Amino acid sequence: MAYGFLLPTFILIGVFCYYPAISAAVTAFTQWDGFNPPKFIGVDNFTRAFSDPAFWAAAWHVGLWTLIGVPLAMIPSFIVAELIFRLRSERAQYIWRAVFVAPMILPPVVSILIWQYLYGADGPINTVLKAVGKDSWVHSWLAEPQFALWALIFMGFPWVTAFNVLIFYSGLKAIPTEQVEASALDGAGRWKQILHLELPHTSGQWKLLLVLSIIGVSQNLMIPLLLTNGGPGTSTLTPVLFMYQRAINYGEYGYGMAIGTMLFVVVLALSILNMRVLRAKD
Amino acid sequence: MIMTVATVGNGAGSGSRSDAARSAEALANRRRRKIRSLSIPAQIVLLIVAVLGYIPAYFMLSNSLRDGAAIGASPFGLPTRPIWQNFAYAWEASRFAYPRTAFIVVISVLGIALTTLMAGYAFARFKFREKEALFYIVFGLLLIPGFITLIPLYVEITKLNLIGSSWGLILPYLAGGQALGTVVLRTAIESIPEELFEAAKLDGANDLWMFRYIAVPLAAPLVIALGLLNVVGLWGDYVLPALIMQGDLATVSVAITGFTPPIIAPSLNSYNIQLAAFTIASVPIGILVFVMMRYFVSGLSQSAIKL
Repeated sequence: MAYGFLLPTFILIGVFCYYPAISAAVTAFTQWDGFNPPKFIGVDNFTRAFSDPAFWAAAWHVGLWTLIGVPLAMIPSFIVAELIFRLRSERAQYIWRAVFVAPMILPPVVSILIWQYLYGADGPINTVLKAVGKDSWVHSWLAEPQFALWALIFMGFPWVTAFNVLIFYSGLKAIPTEQVEASALDGAGRWKQILHLELPHTSGQWKLLLVLSIIGVSQNLMIPLLLTNGGPGTSTLTPVLFMYQRAINYGEYGYGMAIGTMLFVVVLALSILNMRVLRAKD
Repeated sequence: MIMTVATVGNGAGSGSRSDAARSAEALANRRRRKIRSLSIPAQIVLLIVAVLGYIPAYFMLSNSLRDGAAIGASPFGLPTRPIWQNFAYAWEASRFAYPRTAFIVVISVLGIALTTLMAGYAFARFKFREKEALFYIVFGLLLIPGFITLIPLYVEITKLNLIGSSWGLILPYLAGGQALGTVVLRTAIESIPEELFEAAKLDGANDLWMFRYIAVPLAAPLVIALGLLNVVGLWGDYVLPALIMQGDLATVSVAITGFTPPIIAPSLNSYNIQLAAFTIASVPIGILVFVMMRYFVSGLSQSAIKL
């Protein structure tokens, strides 16, 4: 009976999750154009990547992006959750949660297209800079190599997402009332409460969102693909885009999969490390 | 690394609690509220953040009714002379994609709900030897990022001759929804009081009955919340559909994105039509989210999902 209930799930993940994941790892050791039979070439794809400057550029970009993007994905959402949680009336809490959930109906492609426009040479950001007399600060943000990556990283201001807000809020809501009262009786101020009560009690939510954000930021393909396609030059190339270009545009599936496999190993190691380090702190 | 769902006892949804417990909780809530008090400044900050967060929505709506010259003059201005023509062109160019996209999303989301409820029920209620090992096979998928499987999946779908078929998207979507759904619903079903199942068993109920009449109704708010997340995600999905469904077979977001070539400065006029097309595409999702808002906000907030 149990197996009957589990059968659909296991057939689906076997055929459409595990099979492609394993074939990606296998393909990484072959030379393959997607049509002719793959040819086994050992670790050649990996050594090729290590001597490819584009690969190292991509690795550096995703590292920087993760370092800045992950806190951006978490901290503003926590602040919003915290502010909502501290409102007096349940009704106001509900309304504000709804207010922050509603924008999720916008297709993700729309916000990318809008930021493409905001960053444009004649876009609103430059219009504002000119209006306040900072003409020397005007740039074509996505077309100049020294700014393009930063423009992508800081896209999406104010970086509040409905899912993260609700997860943090649920964590705050789960703090036992007695502990809140006890800490208030001890005369703990607002900051002390956040530091000693709320942060420790929401560590499970922080861990979850940390792992999901690292995976999300490092595998974000849509933003560089639609906004810059890695350019100008390789200034906004990321490993996932590099993999995509090699496989889809150049038909070098083996090389693309080798890049993907390395990225996966790094992300997996980071996720495990995170959970270890954070658990040790508990 | 166990993901747990603890049901938070606070307010709506749990009608089975006694009045005494409820009034004690109301008292505690009142006390708690006395402790924290920064409502006005907090709401001002929230308002500022919310306004900033709504800028893309405003930009999309107002510029879907303007033309290129108007955007150039004042990007955030109101449409003083709305150009409804934009919507006519937008609808004309993208309406072909709606029936197919709706079919793909509805089948995928309902399928994910049913299969993850079944798997969640099996992991929560049955005892079998390989249970934990099998559970980690599902859980482990959360750690395999989607991009690694993107290309092999595309190759696999090509081999299965499903390029250009709705099922070429539905099957991977069904598979992709399994991990999070199964993990969350397992813990949700585990937290249903054992007495309910015991009582049903005394009346001679079998597992199919208990699944249908105990587990499904009680897990419903969470299933709906997860379902909404899936609807929003799949409706707006771009990368996989762009590979699998091209041209006349495009999904809504592929059809609209393909409107202009993805270069830095698309001609502003087609840009406005594109924004109008996205506005139209947001309408069905908007209606759904607003109708289901209560389930979404409470469903995700009442269960403390954590790692």
